[in-house]
Amino acid sequence: MAQARTSSSTSRQDSHRSSPAVIGAGARVRGKVSGEGDLTIEGQVEGEVVVRGQLFIAEGGRVVSDIDAAGLRVAGTLEGDVSVTGEVHILAGARVRGDLHGSSISLEEGAELDGSLDCEFSLPSELESGGGRAARR
Amino acid sequence: MASTVIGAGIIIEGEVSADEDIVVQGVIRGKLDAKEGVTVEAGAVVEADISGGPLTVAGSVTGNITSTDRVELQAGARVVGNVKATRITIADGAQFKGNVDMDV
Repeated sequence: MAQARTSSSTSRQDSHRSSPAVIGAGARVRGKVSGEGDLTIEGQVEGEVVVRGQLFIAEGGRVVSDIDAAGLRVAGTLEGDVSVTGEVHILAGARVRGDLHGSSISLEEGAELDGSLDCEFSLPSELESGGGRAARR
Repeated sequence: MASTVIGAGIIIEGEVSADEDIVVQGVIRGKLDAKEGVTVEAGAVVEADISGGPLTVAGSVTGNITSTDRVELQAGARVVGNVKATRITIADGAQFKGNVDMDV
């Protein structure tokens, strides 16, 4: 885990480098969580999560909310729809119920997923021109 | 080190409860219930009633504070609301508007 900075001014002068945010295992949040930086959830969150940075739901973490983030890694439990601009990683041991939308999605062996995957990608050029024929090769 | 840190870029609108120490560097609007210590760091904004154990404030708090232990308002703190605690210190340079209720 990253060390807390001793100079407390650093994080506020530069909002892009906010100190690491953690909702610990003994913490529960009901409501909307929003922010610019990365967020790690080890506890429980119910409501809505909107972050500009990377969201990590750690093992033991439980999130019941729709998620809007730049990136998402799940090792805990998530119930809700996910809209991510970047990559979504569902790690081993994770339980996810909801629809996933991201630029790329990875599912590790041992992860549980109940929902649909919606992944935007561009087809290779040979597939785009004559999709049916190219696919048969 | 506290296990819950509401970082400088994070805004929570709603209810936060914690069985462990909590450090606020960002913004909380709503309600904050902690069983252990609460630290509101310089630059943090809490617009919520706070209850918890030992409480240290260096940032801005608008709301009533209830502590089972001591409340420490450090220099630079800005608190608008009533404070109920067994012990309280208000440092030189802290701003405070409200009532103090100490169990005597």
